[in-house]
Amino acid sequence: MHKKFWMLASLMLVLSLVLTACPSGGQAPAKEAAPAEQAAPAEEVAPTEAPAPTATPVPTEEPAPTEEAAPAEEAGPSLVIWADNTRAPALEAVASDFEAQYGVKVEIVEIGFGDIRDQFKVAAPAGEGPDIIIGAHDWLGELVVNGLLAEIDLGEKADQFLDAAVNAFMYDGKLYGMPYATENVAFVYNPEIVTEVPTTWSEVEQLAAQLEADGVVKQGYVLQEGDPYHFFPIQTAFGGYVFGLTDQGYDPTDVGIDSPGSLAAAEWLDKMVKEGHLQGGIDWETMHAMFESGDAAMFITGPWSLSRIRESGIPYAITTLPGETQDSQPFLGVQGFMVSAFSEDPLLAQLFLTDFVATEQTMRAIFEADPRPSAFLPVRESIDDPDIAGFAEAGANGLPMPAIPEMSAVWSAWGDAVTLIFNQSEDPDTAFKTAAEQIRAAISGE
Amino acid sequence: MSTKVSELGGASAPLSSFTSNLIPFVLRLAGLALIDAFSLMYMLPRLYNDGIWYLAAAIAIVTVIINVVFLVDDLYPLRWISPGLALMILLVIYPVFFTFYTAFTNYGDGHLLTKPQALQIITRELYLPEGTGTFKWTVFRSPEGDLALWLEPTSEGGTALFVPQDGEPVDVSGEPPESYQGYERLERRDIIPLLNQLSDMKFGVAPDQFKISSPSTAAQFQRRYVYDPEQDVIVDQVSGKVYRPVEGTFTADDGDQLRPGYQVVIGLKNFQRLVTSPALRGPFIQVFIWTILFAFFSVLTTFALGLFLAIAFNAPDMPMRKLSRSILLIPYAIPAFISVPIWVGMLNPHLGVISTNLEALFGWSPAWFADPTWAKIGIILVNLWLGFPYMFLITTGALQAVPQDMYEAADIDGATAWAKFWYLTLPMLLFSVGPLLVASFAFNFNNFVIIDLYNEGGPPISGTPTPAGHTDILVSYTYRLAFASGRGADLGYAAAITMAIFLILAIIVFIQFRYTNMLEEASENV
Repeated sequence: MHKKFWMLASLMLVLSLVLTACPSGGQAPAKEAAPAEQAAPAEEVAPTEAPAPTATPVPTEEPAPTEEAAPAEEAGPSLVIWADNTRAPALEAVASDFEAQYGVKVEIVEIGFGDIRDQFKVAAPAGEGPDIIIGAHDWLGELVVNGLLAEIDLGEKADQFLDAAVNAFMYDGKLYGMPYATENVAFVYNPEIVTEVPTTWSEVEQLAAQLEADGVVKQGYVLQEGDPYHFFPIQTAFGGYVFGLTDQGYDPTDVGIDSPGSLAAAEWLDKMVKEGHLQGGIDWETMHAMFESGDAAMFITGPWSLSRIRESGIPYAITTLPGETQDSQPFLGVQGFMVSAFSEDPLLAQLFLTDFVATEQTMRAIFEADPRPSAFLPVRESIDDPDIAGFAEAGANGLPMPAIPEMSAVWSAWGDAVTLIFNQSEDPDTAFKTAAEQIRAAISGE
Repeated sequence: MSTKVSELGGASAPLSSFTSNLIPFVLRLAGLALIDAFSLMYMLPRLYNDGIWYLAAAIAIVTVIINVVFLVDDLYPLRWISPGLALMILLVIYPVFFTFYTAFTNYGDGHLLTKPQALQIITRELYLPEGTGTFKWTVFRSPEGDLALWLEPTSEGGTALFVPQDGEPVDVSGEPPESYQGYERLERRDIIPLLNQLSDMKFGVAPDQFKISSPSTAAQFQRRYVYDPEQDVIVDQVSGKVYRPVEGTFTADDGDQLRPGYQVVIGLKNFQRLVTSPALRGPFIQVFIWTILFAFFSVLTTFALGLFLAIAFNAPDMPMRKLSRSILLIPYAIPAFISVPIWVGMLNPHLGVISTNLEALFGWSPAWFADPTWAKIGIILVNLWLGFPYMFLITTGALQAVPQDMYEAADIDGATAWAKFWYLTLPMLLFSVGPLLVASFAFNFNNFVIIDLYNEGGPPISGTPTPAGHTDILVSYTYRLAFASGRGADLGYAAAITMAIFLILAIIVFIQFRYTNMLEEASENV
């Protein structure tokens, strides 16, 4: 719609400029002298012009068939895929294979990962969307609720994918995507400073206190302020949760931000801040800079920062997240392919995915373009990079990030609660209980 | 009158004026025909068919106006501004009306599609009747081009079947052979061009026909939901439940809803929700007061600094005037999207150059982001940096318009420099830049960018019923309400809030304009 609109706007502008520029019997006297003369040419021109206006009702009544006829006139079926610039080159190879073998034209359109969802929401209902998009599983809620995705059947390939990854793409008991990679945070530490890896958050606290007292580092453990995503593994270690998990997926009526486990985690955070082991005002950038300069010894991060840490030259090791009353469960993010509900050839789109993308060769190419744990078991199991394997292990029992639309009510309130503890403007109990109330109010819409 | 003159004198040179008018006229008609054809034959039908009738209407109006303006000679002067008019209708008036319209609809996540589109998606859903199984399918084709499926059961206890396009299924067994009953087996390569056709086809005899649902599965699927256009209801074929449209969602009597919903006008519901929302009972007043303070202090500080610099650099004996003036404009030339994050970096309590230096000098630095008061001061300071060059620019211009003889008269009367500034310069300036100050106030009232880039409205206010921050202004607060509402993006609701803010802003600006009018009258009386 946007494209059309701008096309129209600019065309109108150009045309009306052209028209304005025409003298058109323009000088006032000539114009007023014209009536008799203008009538004549107008009549002469009229017959040739007439067909245009009268012809218009015809296409008005049946533009749909002409639109549908257009693709049919092209030679054979075709597919359009929206992928980001990291995945697109890996897909180009399989696309040209597919085209060579079956004569199906596969067009890969590069769109920034963050823009795919929003543009798809506009383009798909307008009939201008792709057949397949690349995206993250937590888009599902938004896209399925809007009726924009088609179901996918992985068929015989189903058992070659990581169960957790396939489950992440389930929504209300139906599968809407074929996963290709998983991502989650892990515990990263500096092995030259941390000789004995802490296995609980209480141990992290003791170790941080000791390292700071010894003057080895400014801060033993750093955590980004007000960021619930990096706080979630701590919350789950104490038994906390966000939404209760049932067989049908996450239950939006069961908000766990003020569950006893979550409150215990909030108290741990409060204690860390009070004792000076965690400081406010640390953003993602600062957190990294502190670890990379040796000012901090431990933090939580994901595979997206791996290249950055490697380049800094600081010694590092990646391991599973410390637990407390139970094992820590980070959020699992899963990326995959989804088929548009408005695809003209949904069977072909699925066949392309299950027969051509879900192969070891393509999945490996996708993995190599952006190394994060593959969701395709033959590739995942043969990862020889110990760092990636470390992230994969830390996410082995990860919880898929809730994809239900209600999650949008959670982030801001939950993040505020964490920030309030960092700022010491509220006690941990009140902060998390208020957040839970805010979330419940937003979900019930009252 | 001139017509008469031309009629009298017209006979002398009809031919030359005829040809000199004909070419432009034909060009004009051809141009109009192009615009009309583009608009009527391409844009309108497409937009109308996509259900975007409001944009179609806007374009129709623009097209009509262009035609009228270019065909009625009396409207000749309008031709020159018609591109501007057309763009104004499409880019200013249309969006305003669209926002107005949207405020009365449920447009947003869950209600993105039109009703026909939603029906198409809902009625596409299949179900497998009890007692039937799923099959793996292989396609066969007869020399005449008829298709058939070889079905291998994927569930326990099923038997393999061979099902022609319109024939009775035949029991078979084992793997699909090369050929069967004159039908040839098709390889994967050959079925690819047929997939589109296959997805719509049914095999066997009604009602127990087989349908392909995915590249690996076929079964005796039935449509789960059937739409009855006469009663405008959807009937669930499995449970027999009847779904009726309620505010853009097909809803059963027991409250069960079908996805997706569709766009529909819901009247005043959004406004009702806004008025009864806890957001209004909660931090709204606090946010509103800070919004006014923020806009007021932003204008005051930028104007004060801009005016001071303008007067300083207006002095002819100021060295390197031109160079310094140009340098002062630099903050204006750098987008806020770049300069605000740089400021945020410099103020960072751990690594920021400002904070670390303050710490080194005084052993203390303000909590620029965590403390409510300091966060507000920080935002005003950063906005001062962004905004003073604009004020500097306009006051420099306005200063040139203050008559110099007034100062001479003041000198003769023995006025001090301060008196000259206070009684001459300032009133004369306010007279010309007053409306710009009002505009600047209105701009800062809705200055989402700096609030969001600085601290996303933080630090949070504790204990509120809806999340809000100490530096949230109405617009950023609205953004939180409309897009963090637990229902995804709720555009209809957002449009309703936008209209409410527009109303508030309109009242404030109206009062301010009344006030500046009073100033103008006062300056006229001087």
